[in-house]
Amino acid sequence: MLGSAGLHFATGVCALLFLVPFYLIVRNALSTDAEITGEDWQWFPADVRWDNLTELFDDTTVPFGRSLWNSAVVGVLHTVGTLLVCSLAGYGLARIPYRHADRIFYAVLVTLMVPAAVTFVPSFVLVSSLGWVSSLQGLVVPGLFSGFTCFLFRQYFLGFPRELEEAARVDGLGYWGAYWRIVVPNSLNFFAAIATITFISGWNAFLWPLVIGQDQEAWTVQVALSSYMTNQTVNFHLIFMATAVSILPLVLVFLFLQRWLVQGVAQTGIKG
Amino acid sequence: MSTTTTRDATRPVPAEAPAAGPRGGVRGSTLSFWLFTGPFLAGLVVFVYVPIGWSAYLSFFEARYTVTPDKFIGFDNYALMLTNGDFTGSLVTFTVFAAIIVPVTWALSLGLALMVHRLRFMKAFFRSVFFLPTACSFVAASLIWKMSIFSGVRFGLMNTVLGWFGVENTAWLADPDPPWYWLVIVTVRLWLQAGFYMILFLAALQNIPPVLYEAAAIDGARPGWQTFRHITLPQLRATSTAVVLLLLVAAYQAFDEFFNLLAKSTWGRPPLVELYYTALGDDQDYGAGSAGAVILTLLICMVTLLQGRFLGFGRGDDSR
Amino acid sequence: MPAPSSSTWDRRSVLRAAAGLAALGPLAACGGDTGREGGGGSGKSLVQYFHAYGEAGTQEAIKRYAKAYDEARVTTQWITGTNFESKLFSALLTDDAPDVFEFHPQLQLIRSGQVAPLDDIIDPVKADFNPADIASHTVDGKVYGVRMIDDPQFFYYRKSLLEKAGLGVPRSLDELAEAAAALTTDKVKGLFIGNSMVSTNHALVWAAGADQLDDRNRIAYHTDDVAAALKVYRRMFTSGHLLLDAPADYWDPSALVQGLTAIQWCGMWAMPVMQKALGDDLGIFPFPPAAPGAKPAVYNGGWSMFVNAKGEDVDLAKDYVKWLWIDQKEYQEDWALGYGFHIPPRTSIAESATELKSGLPAEAVKLFTDYGRFDNISWTQAMITAFEEVVANAVRKGTDPEKALDAADEKVGRELEKLFA
Repeated sequence: MLGSAGLHFATGVCALLFLVPFYLIVRNALSTDAEITGEDWQWFPADVRWDNLTELFDDTTVPFGRSLWNSAVVGVLHTVGTLLVCSLAGYGLARIPYRHADRIFYAVLVTLMVPAAVTFVPSFVLVSSLGWVSSLQGLVVPGLFSGFTCFLFRQYFLGFPRELEEAARVDGLGYWGAYWRIVVPNSLNFFAAIATITFISGWNAFLWPLVIGQDQEAWTVQVALSSYMTNQTVNFHLIFMATAVSILPLVLVFLFLQRWLVQGVAQTGIKG
Repeated sequence: MSTTTTRDATRPVPAEAPAAGPRGGVRGSTLSFWLFTGPFLAGLVVFVYVPIGWSAYLSFFEARYTVTPDKFIGFDNYALMLTNGDFTGSLVTFTVFAAIIVPVTWALSLGLALMVHRLRFMKAFFRSVFFLPTACSFVAASLIWKMSIFSGVRFGLMNTVLGWFGVENTAWLADPDPPWYWLVIVTVRLWLQAGFYMILFLAALQNIPPVLYEAAAIDGARPGWQTFRHITLPQLRATSTAVVLLLLVAAYQAFDEFFNLLAKSTWGRPPLVELYYTALGDDQDYGAGSAGAVILTLLICMVTLLQGRFLGFGRGDDSR
Repeated sequence: MPAPSSSTWDRRSVLRAAAGLAALGPLAACGGDTGREGGGGSGKSLVQYFHAYGEAGTQEAIKRYAKAYDEARVTTQWITGTNFESKLFSALLTDDAPDVFEFHPQLQLIRSGQVAPLDDIIDPVKADFNPADIASHTVDGKVYGVRMIDDPQFFYYRKSLLEKAGLGVPRSLDELAEAAAALTTDKVKGLFIGNSMVSTNHALVWAAGADQLDDRNRIAYHTDDVAAALKVYRRMFTSGHLLLDAPADYWDPSALVQGLTAIQWCGMWAMPVMQKALGDDLGIFPFPPAAPGAKPAVYNGGWSMFVNAKGEDVDLAKDYVKWLWIDQKEYQEDWALGYGFHIPPRTSIAESATELKSGLPAEAVKLFTDYGRFDNISWTQAMITAFEEVVANAVRKGTDPEKALDAADEKVGRELEKLFA
């Protein structure tokens, strides 16, 4: 059996490996291209180039600042909308007796299994015929109806203590009243967790924003990032500065909301 | 803030609904049901089912460079896809990929969870470190992997490190023989995913009643492998099952890293990438692509139903 | 009964916050811009698609030209990424399709009625165009698409490195392989023909004395010499003398400029950057013959403007193309020579281009004239992909070239059947 010191050492080694990519982002973001591509490996730039940051935002070929703003707006709307729509549906499926509820739930489950790329072309044509290409609606609305989130909420609400709601009903509240007065206020931890996960997935989404964001003004940060990667000219320091800036907000979200996130992940109902 | 009470609150309780709510009969609850689920279901129909239906429709038509075709060709697209080595090959690729990524991620996340669980110092710090990659996108991670770690040139990190030991520069992605590209693809996903599943395992580990370990110690089980094998692992069974299923679904949906890392290859294409190239790539064959999509969807639905039958995953009445 | 776990969060404040956010939603949605509205004195608007050129200043240039057009407000979509084709093709299916777009001449776009014939705007100046550029855009006597730039592709090499190795310019594919071997050191690879090795596909076939299709649109690439050339490629691929997995692909000058390789396949567009970085230590040569009696090969790529025949206002779109790519010679010259180097398809502009009159650019023009061959309009994107798979399989994966070519025959055959049956 590993001693305590040995255990900490082994964990430390693993942690170092997990941090390597972050190190590379920071190193490359603050170096010059010559340092990155040089013949000898440089562990850290001789001159830390914070100028790379201003260069990134001054670069007119990729509207990076705009794409950050878009991602923030899309991320917030996506999160609020998904939470609202999916939590209601999850509650309805979990708690309100209805003859066909099981069948409807299966219809939701099936959509979990149909990957986005399968329906991606017809979806695109559909959204485009609504005139939503390069628009905020086009980026946000089609993503609100997540079968997975609905499923998580349903599983959670199945485990919600029934006594609380029944007390509310005795007080004369219907499902709607009980939901808003009792269920939601007592589930804020779970909502916070799902909100964090949803925000992250919204922020990191790539395929859909790539197709919908035809206009540069409607680019999200992931699309901007990928455009750096495939641009015809490769500027390492800009690419990695962009990566660093795109990851930073989420790292902050993570560090501040980790408590809810960890609790939430643990109680998402997928624990078995 | 009491985590323990929340956890109690989420313990599954029998879910069969009361025959009728305290207020009124079934009719009132039907209305409520639709009030709650209506918006979601309407969106689901418009943005998920209509496109699926459209795909199904397209699959029976000759639809090249168009999504409003007029030439009905029956099952020709299906025949083409099923006899097409690329498509069936992509199913093999998926199988290989799943066979690697699922057990490896499972083992790594469980291993990390066991380590972090037993730490006495800096537990929260290490948990954060392993969890942090979850914040990264596949785009960002692919970029780091392709441009910096597994770049085939001398300033790639792997080639630099191997160079210190006198190993020649390796083209990690270009050369399929030996298939190093699997190393690149698997490590990207591993880095991004392992922390998330580690959290699931950590939560489950914390839920194992200590009394079980005490009882085992009294029965003479030695700490370490024996306890792990006979107490920990069985107690984690439910979580393990869920993790494996989630990993399978995620592996099946894999697209971003294959798409970003492997260019102009005829190998290493899982089904989604293959379909993307068929329908949206240079062929623009929406009919054949849709037929492939329908075949995949049917396969997956079958697996889901079987899975639901055998494992009870996602069923309200025995979600444990 | 468990206590509510989040008593610290006041219920009402949360609901208020949620309501506030919900109210923000539609507001923000209204604020979202569709990128097509507003602007433009006449109220008319056009959308044009360009793939992202790598040279600095290109995007600004295209937008500057567009702004100078008075008849409509022209929005430019600058499509970054390597999958310009896919994005263009899927956009053409929708209501948001571009009115004009740049692409290469390909028959399927014409057969499906996607692009409009442009004879009326080209005819008056037809004689001023390079005849090959007219021919490669002509189907059944009608011209589709206006050529903007011609981009010959060939090998660049570092003169100093070849001299040091005591090598002359390779005169055959075998010599190229030998040169790659002789030039490889532990820091520099001998040769770079792109990460996926498909960038030389056209030149490889021509240098082996074959062609993509013959005059009657039958398969012409499946010859013993092509198979033999693929075997040489395979040998080079496994030898360790090729630069592979470079961060930037063949179209970017950085592999040669950063000293990662001694010889690189690239296009004329990269010449200014390479000259600036390497000075006189730079030479060019065509793809060397790969079969007895065959000529060296240069691939004349390039980009042309097309008009979407299903667009809302086809006449306006045509007028815009005529205005910019036929009438505005200043812009055409700026576009061809101001950023990367390209050969202007208009003879009158090419003749006055002093940048191309001497030194390395003049050598490139000579290669273009002597050995350059153009796209065959019948060789469509699906066939291009099929031949790319031949290279992926026969060169990188190690399949027998004959088998790989057989597989391509089947796919190309299916395409030909659809186009000409």
